[in-house]
Amino acid sequence: MMSSMTAKHSTAALAIVATAAIALTGCSGDAGGGEGGGEVKIEMQTNFGSTDPSLKVLQKITDAYEKDNAGVKIDLVPSTDTYEADIKVRLSSNDIPDIWATHGWSLLRYSQFLEPLNEQPWAKDFNEALAPAMENADGQFFALPIDTDVAGIVYNRTVLKDAGIDPTQLEDWDRFEAALKTLKDAGITPISSSGKDSWFAGNIADFLGSGDFSDSELEGFKDGTFDEKGYTRILDHVASWQKEGWFNPDYSSATTDDLGRSLAEGKTAFVFVQNYLVATALGFDPDADLGYMPIPSENGEPFLVGGEGRAYGVSKTSPNKKQALDYLAYLAEPDNLSELAGSIGGIPGLTNATSDLGILTASYDAFVEPGELPLKPYFDRVYLPNGIWDTMVTTTDGVITGQMTPADAVKQMKSSYDSLR
Amino acid sequence: MTTTAARAVPKAKRPGTGMPSRSSIPRFAGRGLNLLYVPALAVLGVFTLWPLVNGVMLSLSNWDGYSPERSFVGVENYLRLFDDPNFRTALGNTFIYGVGSTILQQIIGLGLAVALDRSVRGRNAARAIIYLPVLVSPVVMGTMYYLFLSYNSGGLNDLVIALGGERTAWLSDSGAAIALIVLVNSLQFVGISMVIYLAGLQSIPTVYYEAARLDGANAVQTFRHITVPMLQPAFATSVVLNLIGGMKLFDVIQVLTAGGPGYSTHSVSTLIAKMYFGSQRAGYASAMGVVLFLIIAVFTLVLNTMLNRRRLEQM
Repeated sequence: MMSSMTAKHSTAALAIVATAAIALTGCSGDAGGGEGGGEVKIEMQTNFGSTDPSLKVLQKITDAYEKDNAGVKIDLVPSTDTYEADIKVRLSSNDIPDIWATHGWSLLRYSQFLEPLNEQPWAKDFNEALAPAMENADGQFFALPIDTDVAGIVYNRTVLKDAGIDPTQLEDWDRFEAALKTLKDAGITPISSSGKDSWFAGNIADFLGSGDFSDSELEGFKDGTFDEKGYTRILDHVASWQKEGWFNPDYSSATTDDLGRSLAEGKTAFVFVQNYLVATALGFDPDADLGYMPIPSENGEPFLVGGEGRAYGVSKTSPNKKQALDYLAYLAEPDNLSELAGSIGGIPGLTNATSDLGILTASYDAFVEPGELPLKPYFDRVYLPNGIWDTMVTTTDGVITGQMTPADAVKQMKSSYDSLR
Repeated sequence: MTTTAARAVPKAKRPGTGMPSRSSIPRFAGRGLNLLYVPALAVLGVFTLWPLVNGVMLSLSNWDGYSPERSFVGVENYLRLFDDPNFRTALGNTFIYGVGSTILQQIIGLGLAVALDRSVRGRNAARAIIYLPVLVSPVVMGTMYYLFLSYNSGGLNDLVIALGGERTAWLSDSGAAIALIVLVNSLQFVGISMVIYLAGLQSIPTVYYEAARLDGANAVQTFRHITVPMLQPAFATSVVLNLIGGMKLFDVIQVLTAGGPGYSTHSVSTLIAKMYFGSQRAGYASAMGVVLFLIIAVFTLVLNTMLNRRRLEQM
């Protein structure tokens, strides 16, 4: 009797264990499409938000591809506002999307995970202006560039005109700062940035850094010498702007939308940001007259910054690599790439495509097309170790809010630089 | 005969309970019984023990958080913590969030519990309303307050302007931002303290109050000499829960300030996330995590021991 009881309890216990085991393993089922089920499912992690108009353009092109390629399903995944962390988690857990947006880091951060694309049929049209940022020493690049990022300081043309400021004349910091003072006196917020969407703050140091060092100083950064004096020079500018009250008073809580609205409504004059903010601003006022201007330099002539813009790479371990590369080649077709680049308002990343730059055409014609101004790479991506961007953002934020002195911020940057190398 | 006799024997019952006696309950025995522990142990092992062990292992490496390679660096990450001013700031803030929230929640929670322990009209509705924010995600709560505190369209600034004041950037000053984080966290979770104290108040026998009244004790004396000592168990539970919650604070900080301006409002938890995902220093972030775990464990253990000792002394 007793042994029968024990046996029953053992069976019950085993049943519980089995149930628990099934429950625990249930969540580890195959989430990928694989190639064995007749339909290939490719996951493409975009860095477009779910309401981004560019995602709709990409979806339209993708629908056409799926129509021509029965059995291939492309799952376009919109990004969250923590895209960078999301993708790092997926890489570290080996749950890698077949295709993902490399957001400026196809070479330095993601190339170890990506398939080289320099042998692809469309590679001959790769925009050579992107080579310093996207190509390694062996001539390999790892992402299809949808657009070439060319950026300066975004401004409201009407505001500057009303204040009697000609952006083409702001070639050095003295003249730029005189313009900021004029704007402040006229009741306009000279510069808007954000501690909430804090990359705006990081952009300021990054943009300035691209042009404020001599070649030997820049080489020093590459070789392991953090130029404290030079970096202090950059943050001294920021600190003086903060001291003069030239930043927006809602700096701590302003979002990207707030900055776009402020720029469109003519409440602010300048924003240190890539051109995507123009599309946001035009969403608030389609008639706003906006442009971008070269960044003044401590060290020579004004310049533009740029490099890899929107770009997509294919995982080298993807079970659907062949189809993913085929889909990428479809995106690279001139009509498709032109449409995609146009939706972003960017210069196409392939030379056989064209795009309508819309309201930014005037700035492009004035500053980019003549080819007279240097296009410099983003300071952090080329001269600072991978991972320091976050410190750059936070320390600049600290200086803008007056919570850090430039000296404190430089100390933090050096510490981060040393530990990340 | 034996069988008949056995059937004739009535089942033993526990005296005064009507329940079968312990000896009459079939005894679970044998190794099969141990298998019942397995699901719980498996869940504990997979979701608690393994991450803990993995975290300690990571803290001894220089992993960047995503690449396949990592190197063993020994205790270098731990040594680095001593020289890191941001970690010191975050650690200080963590204590402020933990202790500040705990103090506020005890004061407000106890006050509300005492007020709503009386038979006043609408007390059940009031209890529910005060407890409701506990059920809301801290991210939602933080976002609501973020909008309320925002510079351009925040309700607080509208109120200030209506009263003749000036628009203020409430979150741009680190001291104000820290105080606001403590306040928002406390207001959200004060319902927990209230419920704990309500349960404690309702377990105090009314004879003590009657005796005190006969002895001529006033309300303050009754509260001080009867309510407060009798609430010691509730106090211990509430303090420990609030302290742990405050020291682990993450969501509200992330939504309200994201640790800014600069690094000034980071807690250790938010700094860990920043180091791990932002600065690509997963090993260093893990070392911070291990230290935070130890601090909370030691703090809780000491506090629990102190509060229990005090409770025993008063019994």
